[in-house]
Amino acid sequence: MLQQIIALIIIAFFLSRLYWQKRKNHISFNEFLFWLFFWLVAAVLIIGLKFIDRLVADLGFSGSGIQVLFYLSIAILFYSIFRIRLKMEKIEKDITKIVKNIALKDEK
Amino acid sequence: MQTFCVIPAFNEEKNIGLVISDVKPLVDRVVVVDDCSADNTYNIAKKSGVTVLNHIINRGQGAALKTGTEYCLNKGADIIVHFDADGQFLSQDIERVAAPIKNGEAQVVFGSRFLNRDGNLKMPFLKKHFIMPLARAVNKIFFKINLTDPQSGFRAMSREAAQRINWRQDRMAHCSEIMFQVKKNNLRVVEVPIQVIYHRFGQTFGDGFKILKDLFLATLVN
Repeated sequence: MLQQIIALIIIAFFLSRLYWQKRKNHISFNEFLFWLFFWLVAAVLIIGLKFIDRLVADLGFSGSGIQVLFYLSIAILFYSIFRIRLKMEKIEKDITKIVKNIALKDEK
Repeated sequence: MQTFCVIPAFNEEKNIGLVISDVKPLVDRVVVVDDCSADNTYNIAKKSGVTVLNHIINRGQGAALKTGTEYCLNKGADIIVHFDADGQFLSQDIERVAAPIKNGEAQVVFGSRFLNRDGNLKMPFLKKHFIMPLARAVNKIFFKINLTDPQSGFRAMSREAAQRINWRQDRMAHCSEIMFQVKKNNLRVVEVPIQVIYHRFGQTFGDGFKILKDLFLATLVN
């Protein structure tokens, strides 16, 4: 219970920061919406931790709800890093193409 | 037959002048690709009266070779020779590397440091007895490439071969990629012995891993 309250306080802190960043126009509206959604979902998950525990147990996981959430988030992180890696590789190839074309054009 | 020599250069102000003056009399045209050097490489090359192409961002040796090769194709080269700007190769070997293409024996020629005993006399011990055999084994087992020199940067290709080989590796992995492409396109290959004078160690063991990583990533992207 105490842990849940601490987690909610932390989320409240980030939400307030988010609000201030929006007020100072440091982030765009869409970015604001994304993080607002992100933290609200996190808060809902923490409030409903008991329910998630039961759900996870019913699905056959041996870990508790919070552990399974943790595993999931790591999997998502790995996947997004992989995607970024591929995207970067593509951008690198594109930069090379541009540099090559400029080099060939400048000669003429 | 027009022979063009591509020399990619990155911060080679100490060597580039000498390399150009050595190579220039032996080929029809020298094309230096300055890969965004921070030093005086571009100006020195320009002063020696050869074609100099300029990368506005450093993109690596593979990319510089690609730029130079494409330029040669545009200008009607029949034989394209890839040479290094660091003065480790001997310009006299250019004739030897280009000869099998002139005679119609091959479409691609790789210079090998391992075909004669003199070629690698001064190769660092670790490189000669550990890194190179390992690289050769990787080539042989995974890619079925049976060449004595797994990382030769001294090569020549016919016009047709250069049009068919399309390497996309910008950095060190281009050496291996060119070999794969040669194999894939069923081009006729000959290896000739060349000599290398070692000024520095060159690719290290860690670089070998980097090459493998780059090649792996490329299979995912393409």
